[in-house]
Amino acid sequence: MGSLLFQLFALLTVTAAVGVVANRNAVNAAMCLLLCLVGVAGLFVQLDAYLLAFLLLLVYAGAIVALFLFIIMLLDVPGRSAWNLRKLPTLAGLVAFALLLAGLGSLVARGQLRAPNPNATEGVGAALKPYAYQLFTTYLLPVQVMGFLLLVAMLGVIVLSRKVDGPEDAK
Amino acid sequence: MPPFSTHFVLLEPLIAAGIIALFLRRRGQWAAGISVFAAVMIAIRALKMALVGGRFEGAWEWLRLGNFSISIGYKYDDLAALMLCVVGVVGLCIHVFSLGYMRDDAAKARYFGGLSIFMFSMIGIVLADNLFMMFIFWELVGFSSWLLIGHWHEKYSASEAAKKAFITNRVGDFGFLLGIIWCYWANGTVNLTELGHGHVFSTAIPLLLFCGAVGKSAQLPLQVWLPDAMEGPTPVSALIHAATMVAAGVYMLCRINVLMVPDALTVIMWTGAATALYAACCAITQRDIKKVLAYSTLSQLGYMVAAFGLGSISRYSPTPPVILSDGTVSPEHFHVNVVVATGVAAAMFHLTTHAFFKALLFLGSGSVIHGCHHEQDIFKMGGLRARMPLTFWTFTIGVAAIIGLPGLAGFFSKDAILYLAFANNKAVFAVLAFTAVLTALYMTRLWRLTFFGEPRSESAAHAHEGGLTLTLPLVVLAILAAIGGYVAIYPKVFTGVFDLIPEAHGANHTTILITSLVVLLLGAGTALMFYKPAATDALQEKAPGLFRFLAAKLWFDEIYQWYIDKVQQRFALLLNFLEQIFLAGLIVRGFAGVVGLFGIGARALHVGKLNAYVYWFLFGVVVLWLFAAGIF
Amino acid sequence: MTATLNGYILLSALLFAIGFLGVLVRRNTLVIFMCLELMLVASTLALVAFSRFNGTQDGNTFVFFILTVAAAEVAVGLALIVALFRSRRTVQVDELNALKH
Repeated sequence: MGSLLFQLFALLTVTAAVGVVANRNAVNAAMCLLLCLVGVAGLFVQLDAYLLAFLLLLVYAGAIVALFLFIIMLLDVPGRSAWNLRKLPTLAGLVAFALLLAGLGSLVARGQLRAPNPNATEGVGAALKPYAYQLFTTYLLPVQVMGFLLLVAMLGVIVLSRKVDGPEDAK
Repeated sequence: MPPFSTHFVLLEPLIAAGIIALFLRRRGQWAAGISVFAAVMIAIRALKMALVGGRFEGAWEWLRLGNFSISIGYKYDDLAALMLCVVGVVGLCIHVFSLGYMRDDAAKARYFGGLSIFMFSMIGIVLADNLFMMFIFWELVGFSSWLLIGHWHEKYSASEAAKKAFITNRVGDFGFLLGIIWCYWANGTVNLTELGHGHVFSTAIPLLLFCGAVGKSAQLPLQVWLPDAMEGPTPVSALIHAATMVAAGVYMLCRINVLMVPDALTVIMWTGAATALYAACCAITQRDIKKVLAYSTLSQLGYMVAAFGLGSISRYSPTPPVILSDGTVSPEHFHVNVVVATGVAAAMFHLTTHAFFKALLFLGSGSVIHGCHHEQDIFKMGGLRARMPLTFWTFTIGVAAIIGLPGLAGFFSKDAILYLAFANNKAVFAVLAFTAVLTALYMTRLWRLTFFGEPRSESAAHAHEGGLTLTLPLVVLAILAAIGGYVAIYPKVFTGVFDLIPEAHGANHTTILITSLVVLLLGAGTALMFYKPAATDALQEKAPGLFRFLAAKLWFDEIYQWYIDKVQQRFALLLNFLEQIFLAGLIVRGFAGVVGLFGIGARALHVGKLNAYVYWFLFGVVVLWLFAAGIF
Repeated sequence: MTATLNGYILLSALLFAIGFLGVLVRRNTLVIFMCLELMLVASTLALVAFSRFNGTQDGNTFVFFILTVAAAEVAVGLALIVALFRSRRTVQVDELNALKH
């Protein structure tokens, strides 16, 4: 099934993921997400994508999960039941879960994926230069669009977070 | 190619009506001015085109549906020239008369707009070169007639009369349309000139086309609308229901002369003769001055139709049937070699003179009504001879013309018809001669009771002449009624029509002359002796049974009313019931309901819960999977 | 024993399915959002795995874009949730059901 390191990190990742779903407390769930990200970063390292691993930790774990924690603390709502555990939705959820697994697993089981030699190309994602090269040539347009997207997102957030003036405010 | 001014003569009244309808609804004076101006232009152009211009034809394709096309065109030959002049001149006189008669009317703009629309439609009929175009304008004329009869639509009887006129015309138009369609199907064309070059022999087509004339020219059995149409203003009665619109039926018959066959002509002849006799019998018993004139119009129209039926015998030389290349046999084609269109000429001659003197009589009655402050019962008039002298003298000329006093217009035209009848069918001659007696009888009765004796009511005692606008048209029409019979005075340009008027010669000439004189003296003399100016009808007093029978008008109205109430109304209610259930209910609302069900179904998806939407996402993903895996 | 591509793919599928289950089952909107992020991470894992085992660079580069999009999405989504909280005083997803027929 893979090397020991792979199995360890995989176990960590899956456990943390289950923790995200299963935790009653939202902050705990965020912490579990953090752990999950650490596990995935380890897996990235094993796949020789060092830059991506660090980016994951910096952007995802550092910024996004932090933002999540801020908002969770801001909206300090005492939760009632954390899960929607009525009969039909739960059953449907489990069915959906099984379907997804089966769907993707069938691709694997039927041998649709080529299984190339893992040692064939050495560390294709290790060096920094190919990233930059691709970003500036093949994927130049998506980069520009990303910039635009970030600008729009920023503007959107500013607009959305404006306080709605009540009738008592004179302005 | 038609000169460009032809379009003007057709479109000027339409433009006038358009301007009145859009801008001048509240300005009666302006509307009157524009309408009269248009009428003046029409009269001038008509005379100019007839006297100075040439004869022409021209057509433009208007509507094309695959192989079928309707074209709009002009056919301006001598017949059209004559009719256009009649319409123009008489129309102008009546427009001027309306200026004075309708001065105090509240809806003057609508009236003059209607007059202009009528002129447009009538000129369209006159100039039309194919039957489809003629049908379009035919219907337009019916519409303007409805509009103008129902001018005082607040009065229930007026709106009912307008409806009756329109519907009765519709019945005739149904036959007309069938005839046009059949003609197109059999001949491949409805263009009048092309039909003249060759057409399929058929008895049904001309009879169906005659149905249109039966409706429009109020022949038996569709004559019921014309007396009721007197509910409209008097100038309308003069223009539409005496001089021009009802003559359109006769004009149409003259146009389709080439299609006539002997059997159809016999039917037409007897219809006309029967109408003439029937109407004359009814006219004797009427009290309303306009109703007498209406029945008189019916009678004279019967004369025209009978004249057409008598004389238009075309000589056919049949071409033998030919076996075509695909094995079928071609229908027999009858080429018209010689068209002895004496009937056309006699009918058009009488139409012209009738237009003049009937319009004169109607306008004179309008002047009388106006003078007596809208009193229309002749038994309440009297003594107007001294009080309204100009009206009296012009009316006398009109009466003399219609009863056929030698020397005036009606004498010559009626003589031509009597000669035709004498030469072709003695029975019809007897009927027409007897009708002439009755004509003289009731016209003299009307003349005597209206103008002579002592005034029999307050309004008659205070009668006075109208202004210049009321009297000038009377004078003009009186002159025309007097001299309109002398064919020589008509310019040579109308030779195409007038050359064919039958003239008796020799012994026949004497017979006809004596007949008409005897008829005149018999009728007029009887009336003068019988009807002294009194407040009650002498015939009603002396022979009440006969009077009641004649006044019943052969119960046409009652029979039609019974049919409408008992048969047609029930059928209409049944259809309404079916329509409510099936068409409106099942089909219309049913389809809407099905769409509504779809809407309800789609709405049910919006549960508002986020989870449900996510499940729908999954469902879509699964479908895509199965699709990609090749299961679908 | 080295890891095979199938292993990585299966792992990615498992993570994705767990995230999906979380979206379906949890009530708190914020936690649902976190499970959404989990699904995104799973997809990045798959991408990098493919790129490594096929020897191409494209998969790696694409992770950049996924990261960016995830960041923007989180920012806007959380702003929306805050605005929703201000008007509804709740973040439980079954109470946010005003848009129904």
